[in-house]
Amino acid sequence: MWTQVSQSLHESMARVISRIATLLPGILALIVAVLFFAAIAWLLAWLLRALLIAIHIDERLVRGTNTIAEWSPTYTPTTLITRIVFWCIVLVGFLVGLEAFGASSDNLLTARLLGYIPNVVGAVVLLILGNVIARFLSRSVLIGAVNMNLHYARLLSLGIKWLVLVLTAAMVLDHLSIGAAIVDLAFGILFGGIVLALALAVGLGSRDLVSRSLEREAARPAPETMPEEQFRHF
Amino acid sequence: MAKLELSEETKTGMEAVGAADLLIAVAVQVDADQLRAAATRSVLSMDASDHGSAQRTVVAFPGMSNVESVDKGEIERDEAAADSNLRFLPYSLASGTPSRIPWLAPASTYQALFGMARELGVSACAVIGFDLSALETNFLGPMLAPLREKRCELVMPLYALGKFDGLLNSSILAPLTRALYGKRVRFPLAPDFCISSNMLPELEIALQRTTAQGQDLFWPATEAAMRDCGICQVPVDTRHTTPSDGLDLSTVLAQTVGPLFAEMATNAPLWQRVRGSQPVETLGTALAPPADGHPADTTPMVETFQLGFRNLQEVWSLVLPPVTLLELKRLARVSGDRFHMPDELWVRIIYDFALAHRLRTLSRTHLLGALTPLYLGWVASYALEVGSVSAGEAEQRLEKLARAYEDGKPYLLSRWRWPDRFNP
Repeated sequence: MWTQVSQSLHESMARVISRIATLLPGILALIVAVLFFAAIAWLLAWLLRALLIAIHIDERLVRGTNTIAEWSPTYTPTTLITRIVFWCIVLVGFLVGLEAFGASSDNLLTARLLGYIPNVVGAVVLLILGNVIARFLSRSVLIGAVNMNLHYARLLSLGIKWLVLVLTAAMVLDHLSIGAAIVDLAFGILFGGIVLALALAVGLGSRDLVSRSLEREAARPAPETMPEEQFRHF
Repeated sequence: MAKLELSEETKTGMEAVGAADLLIAVAVQVDADQLRAAATRSVLSMDASDHGSAQRTVVAFPGMSNVESVDKGEIERDEAAADSNLRFLPYSLASGTPSRIPWLAPASTYQALFGMARELGVSACAVIGFDLSALETNFLGPMLAPLREKRCELVMPLYALGKFDGLLNSSILAPLTRALYGKRVRFPLAPDFCISSNMLPELEIALQRTTAQGQDLFWPATEAAMRDCGICQVPVDTRHTTPSDGLDLSTVLAQTVGPLFAEMATNAPLWQRVRGSQPVETLGTALAPPADGHPADTTPMVETFQLGFRNLQEVWSLVLPPVTLLELKRLARVSGDRFHMPDELWVRIIYDFALAHRLRTLSRTHLLGALTPLYLGWVASYALEVGSVSAGEAEQRLEKLARAYEDGKPYLLSRWRWPDRFNP
């Protein structure tokens, strides 16, 4: 009996080692592809940085307020562009490596997982963009509303933030092909529900409340127009 | 020498005009007929007070579209109608860069005007910005006199303002410029000023750098202070009325304070060496400020400050250190009539915002927008403090604030040089 158990264990060990040995060239190809493309990316990013500095792109793009610098204040446009280029090329290298890895593997599950990776990458990009936009818009609305002396500034800001985040989440799930129809339907119902609720609140339920609030706001002199009668800022 | 960014039509017009002694450079859009009348009166009055020593004067004004050609006959008619020494020259820029604030001329306009002054070979240039108020009052004679007497190279006006006029200038622009560059110029961003021809080439180069860096505003007093040029101030009875159509305070704040912060970053090696400040020679008698109006109501401004404190702490905490936030918290709890923002606190706030502007801690639009409630808090505090005192005493109060800016400069230097050490 022990002989059979031992033989069985040896056979399974041999199969696993053989499977790993089959995957090793693919893994090696993946690492080589990523390293090779990272080197190309580094070289291209370095060249691009030199070019952008030579044409003074930072100074050109800094004109006005609605620029890259507004959305990404921490990084200069040159840094941002070169980093995007660098990571795009590294990503291409990773995909090439995955393709090589997939070719060396005859497993169906591996092939499916590899085919799904571009969707995951797209979803991550969407998620990052959605977060950046949500944060920027929410802060813009908050500051603008405070300067307009609106007491519900935070509420407005949060509303905008969650609206963008919910929209982003729906897009991400749709991109990942997770519960496609349900997500579409749920988002439609949620979004439509919010709009309908607001319409009903203004039109019927809270008509008096809203009208009183609007009247109060209209009667209240705006902080920046009212002092102009007594204060001249410039 | 800087390239002249003028349209071909304007250059043709300049050739027709020839040489001149004085250029009156109108930097903003004005009504051409009103300009002709006001300039003619002003120049004639200046010549008369100068005992008949008339000089060849050219009035350049933005009045020509790119498609129109120069009507030499028009120039001649003007010449005959007014005075043989006065000529009008409409100009248009080769590439229009409109300012976001209509009454503030962009730096590119100044660059073109100084180029015109150089080409015409004038000995002095009087810049008229904002509106025609300067030409409608006794402005040119007193302002140009120090240039003729060679007492200085830049003459800045000293407007007679009421206690609650020009608050943005009094609270930020003037004291910050004074603390940075060491010259006590009361109106560093004055729209009207006069410069000697000696300064023109250097200013053109400075303006070229300014426009290349994407900055919109031109700070004549700062440029003169950096080059150690002589600056004078002359009291004038000119009074500008700010049109507020479509412009809110946040926009004005962003468009004036933002460029000043940007200039700070550009000139950092220079202003870090400056200690204290020197008075600027004031020529002429100070004029009486206009009478005060009704008592100021500060309640809406205090409310905006308190609303800002409740909602913008997340943003302010990115810019201001905890000790400043703590002081703001105390201030937000104080009731309206006891509301008082100490000068030291206000100065530190401005210095911290300047640093955040440089470090791009957050979007610059957001940064300057978040400054508005704090500024209104300062205005409310100032109004409560000087509400019952005379304009002269209010001026002394502003002098105290300016000294607080100078006293707080070591704090700015520390934060500027080692921002990480003090990071909130």
